[in-house]
Amino acid sequence: MRAQSAKSERGLTSRWRTILLMSSGALVVLYVLAPFCWLVLTSFMHERDALTVPPQWIPTDMTFENYIALFNPTGMRAFVGSRAAEQILPSMVNSLVVAGATALINVVIGALAGYSLARIRFPGQASLLLLYVGSRMVPGIALIVPLYLTVKTYGLLDSRFALVSTYLTFTLPFSIWLLKNYFQSIPRDIEEAAFVDGCTWPQMLTRILVPVAAPGLIAAGMFAFMTAWSDYLFAVILTSTIVSKTLPVVVAGFATDVTTERTLMAASGVLAVIPPLVLAFMFQKLIVQGLSSGAVTG
Amino acid sequence: MHTPTIAHRLPSFEGVCKHFPLKSTRGVVPLVSAKEQKRIPLHRIRSSRARVNYESSPFAFLLNAPALIVILVLVGYPIVYSAWVSLHKYSLKRPRVFDFVGLTNYLTILQSDEFWSALWITVVFTTLVVTLVSAIGLLIALLLNEEFPGSGLVRCLILLPWAIPPVVNGLMWQWIYDAKVGALNGLLVGLGLIGEYRGWLSNPTSALLALVWADVWNTVPLAVILLLAALQRIPAELYDAARVDGGGALQHFRYITLPWIAQPLLIVLILQTISAIRAFDIIYVLTAGGPGTATTTLSWKTYLTTFDNLDFGTGNAYAYTISLITFALALGYFRMLYRKGEFET
Repeated sequence: MRAQSAKSERGLTSRWRTILLMSSGALVVLYVLAPFCWLVLTSFMHERDALTVPPQWIPTDMTFENYIALFNPTGMRAFVGSRAAEQILPSMVNSLVVAGATALINVVIGALAGYSLARIRFPGQASLLLLYVGSRMVPGIALIVPLYLTVKTYGLLDSRFALVSTYLTFTLPFSIWLLKNYFQSIPRDIEEAAFVDGCTWPQMLTRILVPVAAPGLIAAGMFAFMTAWSDYLFAVILTSTIVSKTLPVVVAGFATDVTTERTLMAASGVLAVIPPLVLAFMFQKLIVQGLSSGAVTG
Repeated sequence: MHTPTIAHRLPSFEGVCKHFPLKSTRGVVPLVSAKEQKRIPLHRIRSSRARVNYESSPFAFLLNAPALIVILVLVGYPIVYSAWVSLHKYSLKRPRVFDFVGLTNYLTILQSDEFWSALWITVVFTTLVVTLVSAIGLLIALLLNEEFPGSGLVRCLILLPWAIPPVVNGLMWQWIYDAKVGALNGLLVGLGLIGEYRGWLSNPTSALLALVWADVWNTVPLAVILLLAALQRIPAELYDAARVDGGGALQHFRYITLPWIAQPLLIVLILQTISAIRAFDIIYVLTAGGPGTATTTLSWKTYLTTFDNLDFGTGNAYAYTISLITFALALGYFRMLYRKGEFET
């Protein structure tokens, strides 16, 4: 009898515990989702509905016209802010090209350096690692001033090339660190085994190392892509026209221009969020592991 | 020899190799078919074995060459160049003038009220952001370390703010704080907490707090991920033993959890401090340093001096001052990593 009541008591506390945990979880979800949902919902509103007091929490009259206006800027609607709207698509292409190129270069250069740091013992190894991690600590605002002057001197202002190469300054150190940790988690035996089985160096690389290291390589590329995609500081200073302007620059241009319709801005903001968001949820596990193993992001 | 890194302790990092049976060299599936293997002459196998040279320094430097070139050209050179320019009188308004003035630029900023005001705002902003991020991050990490219905979903959703580019984050919060039609005003008035709509970004104090909160929202996920990874490494036996010994949840936290996560927590503190000091995008979009100079941090001041006033000499002096502050913090960070054993290669 006593044992039974003790058991039911424990059942009760564990139920309360679950309820408490779940309601805290719900609170966290609300904290994370509420601001973002506000942005997404605004992007599906008519301008007049977005300007009501009190605000419409759920749009009564959903519309796609903001997105249509961004993709078809010469259409009827885009009178206000149409100049900026015209820049959305080309700037998206710029962002994709720049971020993609940054990711690719990061994977290749980062893998070479990361592999050597993980596998080979050589003098000066620790100092080299310190140099890489240390260079990540230099604040972008301190680098951009001399980089701007240099890029200007060589006439490379407003070019995608300048963006990609400057993005390497803050993406590459992280990629090297991440890949070094990743290669260290792969047993060296499999490489030796491949050589014993008669693999040549390139064969070993393509048949063994790259497939085994693929998750690490993808993670490094993805972090580089997301960092490059999100950058604003370098992009706003180094670009000036649509030749190389990236999406964040155009979106921020919207934000500081009071005449632009806010629903249109919201739609452009959502477009800028989609690629990193899709990557984040697609590679959720890799991101969590990558961030916790390579805790050098700033 | 490999020293265990965090990667080793994470279960799925090891699982990566599951496609390859790795138990022993013998167990490895031959990558060259048996038929092919016969065709490979013995001397080639021997010579290829010599390729596994894990002591070759020239090879190591060859592999590092591209990365080294990038870092030296794009980080090393600008740092030196920046130091050089900071010792000169140089403004794009009068680009012909490039006079060596020694430490004058530094003395000028150290004597200006603007610098001390920006430094003070940076300190306040950073302290608030770091405190809030660590506190909220730790609470969420502790929650997500428990299993409950829906915990997987929350763990997944927590990544969302991290994936949002700072510019979009700034834009989003700009409307939430909007004085005329913002969601915050709508919510607070709707709940009856305030009587009328307020201009959150036009009051110096609330503007700074609004900026802090927007930045916290954006950066909390990183803290959660780092702390959650640390929490998951605590052996369950410790808690089992503690349960036998008695003691409440608070004591468990104080004597088991806290010592285990002390170092990751310090790493979070340092990384957050560095990232708060360099916060720029969000300030640009949300407050532009205003109202007045209420949110003008050192980063923003550097930007204004350089690209608004076009005074590159003083701008570089500002930039260098920030670098030195960050450098001091980074040193602390390295010592943490070093103690954790991450720097042994």
